[in-house]
Amino acid sequence: MEQMALAAPGGDHSIWALFWQAGWVVKLVMIGLLVASVWSWAIIVDKLIAFARMRASLTRFEEIFWSGQSLEELYRTLAERKTSGMGSIFVAAMREWKKSFEKGVKSPISLQNRIDKAMDLALTREMERLEGRLGFLASVGSSAPFIGLFGTVVGIMTSFQAIAGSKSTNLAVVAPGIAEALLATALGLLAAIPAVIAYNKLSSDAAKLGLRMEGFADEFSAILSRQIDEKVPLRAAA
Amino acid sequence: MKAGLTTSLALHAVVLGFGLVSLSSPREMAIADVESFPVDIVPIEEIAQSVRGDRQAPVAEKPAPKPTTRPEVVENAREVGDNMTDLTAPPTPDPKPRPVETAEAPPPAPRPAPPTPAPEPTPEPPQRTPEPQPVPTTEVAAEPQPRQEVVPDPAPQTAVAEAPTSEAVDLPASAPTPQARPQPPQAQAARTPERREPEKRQEPRRETASSSQSQTQSVEDQVAALLNREKASGGGARRSGDQAALGGRQTTGSKLSQSEMDALRGQIQRCWNVPAGAADAQDLKVSVQFRLDPSGALDGAPQIVAGGGGAGIERAAAESARRAVLACAPYTLPSDKYDAWAEVIVHFDPRDMF
Repeated sequence: MEQMALAAPGGDHSIWALFWQAGWVVKLVMIGLLVASVWSWAIIVDKLIAFARMRASLTRFEEIFWSGQSLEELYRTLAERKTSGMGSIFVAAMREWKKSFEKGVKSPISLQNRIDKAMDLALTREMERLEGRLGFLASVGSSAPFIGLFGTVVGIMTSFQAIAGSKSTNLAVVAPGIAEALLATALGLLAAIPAVIAYNKLSSDAAKLGLRMEGFADEFSAILSRQIDEKVPLRAAA
Repeated sequence: MKAGLTTSLALHAVVLGFGLVSLSSPREMAIADVESFPVDIVPIEEIAQSVRGDRQAPVAEKPAPKPTTRPEVVENAREVGDNMTDLTAPPTPDPKPRPVETAEAPPPAPRPAPPTPAPEPTPEPPQRTPEPQPVPTTEVAAEPQPRQEVVPDPAPQTAVAEAPTSEAVDLPASAPTPQARPQPPQAQAARTPERREPEKRQEPRRETASSSQSQTQSVEDQVAALLNREKASGGGARRSGDQAALGGRQTTGSKLSQSEMDALRGQIQRCWNVPAGAADAQDLKVSVQFRLDPSGALDGAPQIVAGGGGAGIERAAAESARRAVLACAPYTLPSDKYDAWAEVIVHFDPRDMF
């Protein structure tokens, strides 16, 4: 209120001045929105980088996988490294495969099930990593305008109270308070718009990557199932 | 995540920094200096009213009375005229030329008198004394006269000569007075020459006696002289240098204001007994015309100018309206707008009463 009274006509109307003239509720809202904007942009940048890397790694893995290289060799090189995407699915499936054959296969069907489960698990983990934190973008996108609006409403409320106190309806008295209150809405929209756009793009990207990995998992499962069919009856016969 | 956070922070810092620099203190809106138009609200009455002017003068844009000749004497005078005091009455045509002649005429009249008194000194002085007394109307002027009586003839002559001059100095506008003056003194002198003689002897002792004398002698004469000395009406004291232009005799508001009309209506309505059983009568409207004198009293009988033509209830309504006008007779209305309400037509409509 006091600040409102001080913010009467004239003076500095820069954004910084508007922020300092605001009441503490509005200030808090503005700071919160700024933090949300910073964090959502951090997520956006992070995800964009991560997705680009994932896409590149998927492409590279597919190239290597379909190059006709021995799967045992590939497994050996990948098992030593930290893998992501298709690599981790492949490693999970191969590990299960190896474990099962080291202890001897009792039933080819259960082996097939275990390998599928392991691959599903790896895929889910990968998807989780891809889609993690996208929820924050979604919530910022939907709630930031409302938070900004809240700040504006509170700011205008206090502004009108101050006007009533000053007993002047001069626009020069009314305007700074309203401008400062509207700054909160502006910040809310500033945080929300990129968050919504990024969320839509990133979630569709993640879905595409997930599909790609799922396709690979299915294909690999089919390959392994063929291998099991080839190996297990042999052993069973022997 | 660290990379993302740092890039985000950097991005925000850049945007905020840019915002602080480029969005700081928006330029003040340039408001063109628009000249404000002065708007005067002029009541139509001012145009509709008759404004004082000269009735014989040619039409000009602004009515103006004849230019005045005297210098300004009253500071905030409102009425135009050659008068010394501010009177609302319009200036009357100056009857100066005639009175001047008559004014000169009386002095000769007393002058021939002194020669005649020479044989008979006693009766003639009385004739002179009443004359000077009314003229000055002041005690100072009255005093010298008795002394002159005691002094032989030549002295009164000079006194008489002085008196007129003092008159001329004091009251140049008193010209008309002589018209009335000469006759009454002669008549009185003719009636009671004997009484005056003893009284005059007492005069030197008492001033009051002289006043009592004058009362007994020539009250009418004095009053007449005084009255005549005043100019009948001389207009106001404001001075005008404008060319005379066509206008009314007097500046008058020709319209009563709404509140004044309401006041008149209210005064009449109080006394109006609406004819009983006339509630459904649609055509009982009556218009009554009447004249008022400046005091607000009725001047003549009110006349029904419309309505009340038939028999029975219509006639009763008309009569009730006429009675109402008569009953409330002295009406209080603004006297300065007498022109507006000298003649009034009032419409009586019983529907307004229910």
